Amino acid sequence: MLPPFRLARPKTLDEALDAIGEDQVPYCGGTELLLAMGAGLHRPDVLVDVKRLPELAGIRLDGNDLVIGATERHDRVAEHPLVREHVPMLAAVERAVGNARVRNQGSIGGNLCFAEPKSDVGTALIAFQAVATLVSPGGRRALSVEEFIAGPYYSAKEPDELLVDVRIPLGGPEVRAEYVKYQIMERPTLGVAIAHEPETGACRVVVGAVGEVPAVWTFAAPDEIDADTIASEVDPTPDLTGSERYKRHVTGVYVRRAVDALMSRGS
Amino acid sequence: MTEFSTVGTSVRRRDLVEKVTGSAEYTVDVTMPGMLHAKVVRSDRAHARILSIDATEALAAPDVVAVVTAADLEPLFPRFGHIIADHFILAPDKVRYFGEPVAIVLAETLGAASDAMRLVRVEYEDLPSVMTAAAALAEGAPLVHEQAYDATGDDSFKSLTGKKHTMEFPEAEGARTNVAHEVDLEWGDVDAARAGAHLVVESTVHYPMLYAYGMEPYNAVASYVDGALSVVSSAQHPYMVRDDLARIFDLPLSRVRVSTPYIGGGYGSKSYTKVEPLASVASWMVGRPVKLVLSVEEAIYTTRVDTADIHVRSSFDAEGHILAREIDIVMDSGAYADNSPLVLAKCVNRSFGPYRVPNLRVRGRSLYTNTAPASSYRGFGAPQGNFAAETNLDQAAEQLGLDGAEIRRRNLVRHGEAILPGKRGIDADLLADLEIAASSLERDRKDTPYYGMGVSCSASDAGAYPISTAQVRIQFDGSVIVFSGSTEMGQGSQSLLSQVAAEELGVDLGVVSVVQSDTSVTPYERTTGASRTSTLVGLALQRACADARTRIRDMAAEIWSCTPDEVIDLPGAVQGPEGAKLAYGEVVRKWFGGTAGEVTGIGLLRREGVTQEMPPFWETGMVGVAVEVDPETGVVTVDQLVTVADIGFAINPQAVEGQDLGAATQGLGGALYEELVYDGPQLANANMVDYRVPRVTDMPRKIDLVLAERRDGIGPYGAKGAGEGQLNPIGGAVAAAVARAVGRWPNRLPLTPERVWRLLNDLEDSDPPA
Ligand SMILES: Cc1cc2nc3c(=O)[nH]c(=O)nc-3n(C[C@H](O)[C@H](O)[C@H](O)COP(=O)(O)OP(=O)(O)OC[C@H]3O[C@@H](n4cnc5c(N)ncnc54)[C@H](O)[C@@H]3O)c2cc1C
Repeated sequence: MLPPFRLARPKTLDEALDAIGEDQVPYCGGTELLLAMGAGLHRPDVLVDVKRLPELAGIRLDGNDLVIGATERHDRVAEHPLVREHVPMLAAVERAVGNARVRNQGSIGGNLCFAEPKSDVGTALIAFQAVATLVSPGGRRALSVEEFIAGPYYSAKEPDELLVDVRIPLGGPEVRAEYVKYQIMERPTLGVAIAHEPETGACRVVVGAVGEVPAVWTFAAPDEIDADTIASEVDPTPDLTGSERYKRHVTGVYVRRAVDALMSRGS
Repeated sequence: MTEFSTVGTSVRRRDLVEKVTGSAEYTVDVTMPGMLHAKVVRSDRAHARILSIDATEALAAPDVVAVVTAADLEPLFPRFGHIIADHFILAPDKVRYFGEPVAIVLAETLGAASDAMRLVRVEYEDLPSVMTAAAALAEGAPLVHEQAYDATGDDSFKSLTGKKHTMEFPEAEGARTNVAHEVDLEWGDVDAARAGAHLVVESTVHYPMLYAYGMEPYNAVASYVDGALSVVSSAQHPYMVRDDLARIFDLPLSRVRVSTPYIGGGYGSKSYTKVEPLASVASWMVGRPVKLVLSVEEAIYTTRVDTADIHVRSSFDAEGHILAREIDIVMDSGAYADNSPLVLAKCVNRSFGPYRVPNLRVRGRSLYTNTAPASSYRGFGAPQGNFAAETNLDQAAEQLGLDGAEIRRRNLVRHGEAILPGKRGIDADLLADLEIAASSLERDRKDTPYYGMGVSCSASDAGAYPISTAQVRIQFDGSVIVFSGSTEMGQGSQSLLSQVAAEELGVDLGVVSVVQSDTSVTPYERTTGASRTSTLVGLALQRACADARTRIRDMAAEIWSCTPDEVIDLPGAVQGPEGAKLAYGEVVRKWFGGTAGEVTGIGLLRREGVTQEMPPFWETGMVGVAVEVDPETGVVTVDQLVTVADIGFAINPQAVEGQDLGAATQGLGGALYEELVYDGPQLANANMVDYRVPRVTDMPRKIDLVLAERRDGIGPYGAKGAGEGQLNPIGGAVAAAVARAVGRWPNRLPLTPERVWRLLNDLEDSDPPA
């Protein structure tokens, strides 16, 4: 049973920014928030529904950025032509999030703001060096998704801030990307994202879900990606899907699998 | 099968459209006028003395009507349990497990009850707890129950035992222990046999703590008015629940009515009494109907599956024949006995397998612990015991240089041979079934590394106690209503019973309807469990149809002024002298003299005739499993699943296949994924996100469901039951397949990826703390 709360449904960004605060929290799909409230972990006075704010919706190109509104749901992101064209890896990741109900209800913004460690979306976005746009009554600021996911269940967002969108830079040379995940329960045990810029050869390897926050490594070329080093450096959280030792081991396995997938795809 | 008109075909399920469209009624849909909503205040510790319960604040909250505690139940018999009435409706002086009901909050709305539930203050004093069977057995272990309880003397329970099969209810005499129950079974001289053996193989396994997940959690709505109790609930055995409720309130059975609409999955977990006493005592307190619906988490804490630690020692001759088996079973049955004594007894009976075992010694103990109470689970003790002994047999095969099929071929009992002395000989051809399973597996064997196959089999003394009654009412238009106290829990009994009635009376399936599971309306049915409905209710219904036909013939004879033996049966009609014919409806109308009346046929079944010998039939399991292991991660993919149902006769083939696939899949859940894990006093995964049941994407790549119909059952048309059989041997088959894929024998289930990876790499079960 949910504890009692009031629901606010602002139609403009200003109204919304007015409405949110310490005990007045943004609410989008509710797939995380309502569970936390039902479990008695969270008792906000007011839920401020952000689904009616036009600024937080839509998927579009803005200059060299692919912009995804915070309230866009996973299945929409997965199917959107711009996402599929420019960042097919992200489309594939979104298509495999949770289950049909979660994809149909949960938003990309809610996923990032909640900063649940067992997530795929943040890991994938960090590989693309995506940037989060935040707005507060004081103005806007931009923060890399890597910095935004500050800790387990903790995003670098003030109580008076809303996440507006995430921006994936497309300006540079075309990035090749792979994502592989290891999932034996309802949520991922491990996700490995690799983004490779063929022009410079640089590779970003992001390992998520296995520890408290996604961790990033960079290498000069795909064949320099050192799975053993990554496996020894991750900080796994033991749980019912595996011990620390096991998770460290499968991290190495999946980094190698991600590299193989990247190489076998060719350029 | 031209011999039959309706049975033997996969007719469309009766409940199909209403279930798919959502119009089917479940208990949760049932309301009663003036109904209150209940929420249960539960213990938040494993073992503690209750010092005080303060409901002042809760009672002051808006819309709260009452808070019921154990003190209020003083005028009643405050416990239930059909074997040992040890289960307190509300914890009186102490709580015995995390999640135990301590108080019931009643309010006008569910929200008000939920809010007020948090306002009931319970003061506890912690007691030392026993969280595992080993801890419960330890010298000087804290006692879960300080007192002994009288056994209720359930007949079925007393009569299920074999020769030299003893059953102990430890009494208050002397020092009490946490042993809730003991069962021993012995014949021959195991020590002498072992001494002369060519090979002795020992193994120990752990069977995990499971939850029999059904989509519908336990729920009930109850109304106690003027010395009569009416309950609608998700109970699998409404008659058994009625008996418990009548004892609580000291009411005549006729004043207690329990009815069950459709059940959203039972799998044994809904057999016997669960939430009905809570809703009933609450209604008795306030004089208004009360509705209680548990969450999944609460349901997990209400009933889980018995864990088992089982040691097996088998002795063989040089050819691989079993000389002796010694089996020691220790079950963790949780805080209350519930059906665990029966589960234990069945586990003992089903542990050594359908083999020629000349010398046997089985010792079973069921332990009270400070964990959620365990009770029935599909297979009744067979999944636990069978896994232990089948794994042991496969290890012996390896040491003897035999394959899994061959060692079984050499030991299986032949058709008609006894497994349990003094009991019905086996009514199945397991040898033939084994060849079907083994050849199906071999046919699709893959030549890849880390690939392994296992065949496994089981036999269960099934059918429970043969008491059943059925009625059939022929209407004046010739249509037919079947009445049965059995429940429809998704297994398709509604369709099956209508098929039997249509066949017996020679009427169209479309004119038959079925009314089930209402103790004040439908005739007595002991239980809907142990795969009994097709066989036992089927027989009772055949008799009811025969009785109705006799009455119809008598009436026709009166109409035609002839003797009854001049009247002969036709499909849906009778024929008299000189070719005169009357359809059933015409007989009814002419005899009553109007467009009115009906004819009722009654069928009774007891331990007599074909059902004299126990068990009524053997339910066998024969499965083959092939797996592929990812050596880097330990992930197991099930490549093949083969089941062979020794069904006698499939009244509805598709329903049998559905049962077999469902049972096998549930078995795969316990073998590969599912396990409840206690972390301190409470479960770490009492929810469906962290307790992983099989998903559609886990289904085996090849599924071969074979029906072996040899018409050798005592049921209608030679039928036997189905429903549990193919779950029982899955654990053993998966363990063998994985062992052959990775080269080492597992000693526990489920075979999660990490466990398989550790097995493959010969690592300890867990790492020492850093
Ligand atoms: C069963 C299950 C399985 C899952 N599996 C996966 C998986 O496999 N991979 C994966 O990546 N994820 C998974 N998830 C997580 C899922 O992606 C998130 O639940 C979902 O995206 C959250 O979005 P929401 O709109 O429902 O957020 P809400 O629940 O509405 O909000 C979540 C949090 O974000 C805040 N918030 C929401 N929007 C904003 C905003 N615009 N500005 C500021 N704060 C905001 C809320 O205040 C709240 O704290 C799973 C979730 C569930 C329940």
